[in-house]
Amino acid sequence: MRRTLRTATAALAFGALLASGACTTDGDTSTGATKTTLTIGTMTPARSMDPIDAGGGGTPYFQAVYDTLIKREPDGKLTPMLASAWKYDASLTSLTLTLRDGVTFDDGTPLDAPAVKANLDRFRKAASAEAAQALSTKSVAAPDAKTVVLTLNGPDPALLDSLSDAYGFIANPAKFGRDKPFATLPDGTGPYELDAENTTTGSIWTFTRKSKYWGEAPPFQKVTIRVFDNENAIVNGLKTNQIDAAVLQNVDQQVAATSGTKLKTASQEIDLKLFNIFDRKGARVPALGDVRVRQAINYALDRDVMVKQIQQGRGTATNQIWGTQAPGYDKELDSYYAHDPAKAKALLAAAGYGSGFTLTLSRLAALVPDSLAEAMKSDLAAVGITLKWDDLDQASFLTKTFREFKYPGVVMNGGQPAKDWATVSASLLPRTISNPFGDTDPTVEQLAAKIRASEPARAATYAQQLNRHIVEQAWFVPLYRMQYLHVTVPTVTAVPQAGLAVPALYNYRPAA
Amino acid sequence: MLGFVLRRAGAGLLLVFVISFVTYLLLSIPDNDVARALLGSNAPESLVRAKNAELGVDRPVLVQYLDWLSHAVRGDLGRSWFTSENVSTAIAARLPVTLSLMVGVTLLTALVAFALGTWAGVRRGAADRFVQVLGVLGYALPGFLVTLVIVLVFAVRLGWFPAIGYIPLTDSVSGWLSTITLPILSLSISAVAGTSQQVRSAVIEVSRQDYVRTLRSRGLPTRTILCKHVLRNASAPALTVLGMQFVGLLGGTVLVEQIFGLPGLGSMAVQYTTRGDIPVIMGLLTVTVIGVVLINLAVDLAIGLLNPKARRA
Repeated sequence: MRRTLRTATAALAFGALLASGACTTDGDTSTGATKTTLTIGTMTPARSMDPIDAGGGGTPYFQAVYDTLIKREPDGKLTPMLASAWKYDASLTSLTLTLRDGVTFDDGTPLDAPAVKANLDRFRKAASAEAAQALSTKSVAAPDAKTVVLTLNGPDPALLDSLSDAYGFIANPAKFGRDKPFATLPDGTGPYELDAENTTTGSIWTFTRKSKYWGEAPPFQKVTIRVFDNENAIVNGLKTNQIDAAVLQNVDQQVAATSGTKLKTASQEIDLKLFNIFDRKGARVPALGDVRVRQAINYALDRDVMVKQIQQGRGTATNQIWGTQAPGYDKELDSYYAHDPAKAKALLAAAGYGSGFTLTLSRLAALVPDSLAEAMKSDLAAVGITLKWDDLDQASFLTKTFREFKYPGVVMNGGQPAKDWATVSASLLPRTISNPFGDTDPTVEQLAAKIRASEPARAATYAQQLNRHIVEQAWFVPLYRMQYLHVTVPTVTAVPQAGLAVPALYNYRPAA
Repeated sequence: MLGFVLRRAGAGLLLVFVISFVTYLLLSIPDNDVARALLGSNAPESLVRAKNAELGVDRPVLVQYLDWLSHAVRGDLGRSWFTSENVSTAIAARLPVTLSLMVGVTLLTALVAFALGTWAGVRRGAADRFVQVLGVLGYALPGFLVTLVIVLVFAVRLGWFPAIGYIPLTDSVSGWLSTITLPILSLSISAVAGTSQQVRSAVIEVSRQDYVRTLRSRGLPTRTILCKHVLRNASAPALTVLGMQFVGLLGGTVLVEQIFGLPGLGSMAVQYTTRGDIPVIMGLLTVTVIGVVLINLAVDLAIGLLNPKARRA
């Protein structure tokens, strides 16, 4: 009996170990040869494979199976894709697209102007997160098989970018009208097909290269996008070559991926951590209606300490919401409000709040870690402002902060588009996410209108003026730009995409 | 026996209804604005209202629940609000992962814990102390820490096993084994610790009974006494613990699935619950409750088979 037991125990303890002697990984095990499969690790699942659900960090899924009308290169330059050419009229309110010849959908249907019109119309009507991309479009016409004309409500400098993004993805209209037509079975003109058998929605998506693609064949035969809910697993996957590329946001995981590994890394400053003041008229908290109080808050915060301690040096303190890649960016404005508690106190006193006031903000721990919450609290306390945090779960945070507007503002992450108009239209115009109470002033209105209707060179000058005006008026309390780390295994290269946190699918190549 | 099974099945069915109803009520607390979460914080109110109507969440909660129930009893668990995929299909795709873990951990635990517990209970002395120390250690070490260390050592450093991912059994047996060995190992440690202690006490307890002493005094071989009498009587409490552990694994796999990036039910539950995706949560809940009822039934039946006295209880 004793021997039997001992044998059984030993067999069990090591059986599994031995049985798996042929330890296989599901990555590409080729050594030396050019890599033919690409595995991307991400924390962003695709909502569905329907283009109306495209956008943001989920864009690469869609780029596998759909083409956009216009292609956006890594540096932000726009080049032909499904549209071989495009042209604005003199008033910038009518855009004419010429379609490429010889493009077909998966079922062989040729791509033509009515198909594109059907897609654009469908996107405009959909209850979609990216619906704002189509807001400027008044109507779409297809005068002949190769021509599509968009008539606009007014000039929209972001439109061409939108057509290289969610608004521009073209799906097979033969499937429109069905129930959830592309939710799990996409049908587009893109370089890959979804391999449904090896796909678990929400977890793993597998795409295989099409035998017939109108454009240049993509470099990888197979692309897999794996979703994780923590970056620890992603870093482990990168270290064991099971994942080829990922973008890491967590500072600790960035350190783990950088030190003692053969992984290639490149950093990019994409998102901005900022206190977005909604209540610039003082409806909830009267003090915030005074520009001097908003300036005082800006002076009170010690951003260098935040960058050093919270971001472990991986980031840059800033006072502007414009990102470094946008023409309207002004380096000087990064340190406009250098840490100065004395000045903050003086401004508060001048505004009549010498004895301070109380500010209550909602907090989502994922957005505002304890360290940041404490740093802001103590910096503001030092000038007499009492900051209180209401800790909320995600659902009530979204509802109370962005729907009921129970708080005078929110500390959040903001994107930093590479185009000026994208910043203006996403953050400054009335009733956008950053300006829910519809604040504006004559300077903002005039400059925004000029940026919208000007040639790029002129627009950049106006954008810089608007940027300075917004900083002087202290519409926001920007804290720091966060550094994201692009990590790839040595056999793969990934070029970061201007203004976007994730590289486009087209930006990955086997390393030469 | 049939009556017992039918009674249990009836109670289980009632349990499914009660739990699903209460859960639906709790999930529908109006604070959770699903359309807003879907469309983003800057979507206009008109779009949000349209989305709510499309999802049917603008109807009274009771109507929504009855709608869900009437479909569920026909086997239609609906579509996910967030990913539009069929809930039954989504669960079916992930069930093999979680089941692999649960069955693997339970088998490993049963064999190792019975072996260790019996060894300690019969031999006593140093063997007993050794198993007890193992038990305390297995319990005291935090599960996530053990798992992280296991990944770091066996996957990242030594490269013996993959650090992430799952290969279905149907694709490759060796691949499947390589992907689930480390997760099973990390989940088994505390399960073995708990169950082996239970087996040990039960063996000692039964060994002290008068009838065992009588059998021994009659000169029956130790092996016969142990296998035919002691283990048979000691198995009931151990099986109960094992059954409870199996049920507990439904939740316990969450962490391991996250660390190993396994597409199982645990990580699915976390993903969809935080988003308030009611059809998926209700689907998972239904499957889980039915699973728990079945497991308990199986444990009761097993105990009844091993020990006729329990059948009358």
